[in-house]
Amino acid sequence: MNPLEELAAEVPHLQHSFDPAFVFGSGSFGMTQYVLWMIICFVITLIVVLTAGKRLTLIPTSKFTNMVEYGYEFVKKDMGESAIGHGYKKHIPFLATLFFFILISNFVGLIPGCKTPTGSISITWALAAISFVYFIFYGIKVKGLGGYLKSFAPAGLPVVMVPIVWFLELFSTVLRVLTLAVRLYGNMFAGHMVLGIFALLTSVFIGSAIQGAGVAVGSISIAWMLFLFAMYALEFLVAFLQAYVFTILSAVYIGLATSDH
Amino acid sequence: METTIVLAALKLVGYGLSTIGPGVGIGIACYGCCVATARQPELQGRLFTNFIIGAALAEALGLIGFVLTFIV
Repeated sequence: MNPLEELAAEVPHLQHSFDPAFVFGSGSFGMTQYVLWMIICFVITLIVVLTAGKRLTLIPTSKFTNMVEYGYEFVKKDMGESAIGHGYKKHIPFLATLFFFILISNFVGLIPGCKTPTGSISITWALAAISFVYFIFYGIKVKGLGGYLKSFAPAGLPVVMVPIVWFLELFSTVLRVLTLAVRLYGNMFAGHMVLGIFALLTSVFIGSAIQGAGVAVGSISIAWMLFLFAMYALEFLVAFLQAYVFTILSAVYIGLATSDH
Repeated sequence: METTIVLAALKLVGYGLSTIGPGVGIGIACYGCCVATARQPELQGRLFTNFIIGAALAEALGLIGFVLTFIV
């Protein structure tokens, strides 16, 4: 059988494995695999942060504590201070929670056999909605409801332009919740799909080489495996980058909502 | 049957076309960020934040296309 035809037959199985299958329960009550992995990621995040928090010393001695502290400092300096500016300190716990949870769930998904919770759109919608409500809440708290609504249009515009710019800015603000959710979901889902396709290609080509298609097909399979390794390395970068982008965009939105131009 | 397949294929082609714009846009933004950082390395933090905002705005268009393939 032609390996490419075999691949076309295998791809629906791969797509099916991304569906939110029920681990237990069914219909309206139950738990899908993504929710299960989300809870596992919550537990891992809690364990990592609480163990590091218990062992805090003035001069960090253990490598583990040092690593977690470095992550926290990274959120504080590179995201909080540079994106929010004045009064950034009270937002750091929220941003650090987002960053650590997304980072850990992205990396858990890269372990073969595990599912990434952020590869399901429901979970990224929830995360984006939390971030959206948070920055609107702080915008209204700092400027008041009227002041926050007025601040969509920058000051100093000609009077005719104000309603148009205000409406466009309102639209792009509402769009933020969609882009935050779909960006994280799209990157993680597409990345895992690409990894799956390359793994399938490797196995399909080596299978047909063993069945007697010859050495040429077998050596192509090795090339697919090298591609798979390269994509795996790229996915590690993407996993970190998406956690970073989600957090820094939340920080930027908070900064835009609370700063008084 | 034929029409359904053609429609599904057209959705994918449309999404592929809609990624060109954001791709070029993010490329230009990244170029500008790199050049500016090379000239003034001490501004790196703020430049990178602005780059991320610009990339997010450009990427929003591509993501809208991605969502529309599901909705329409």
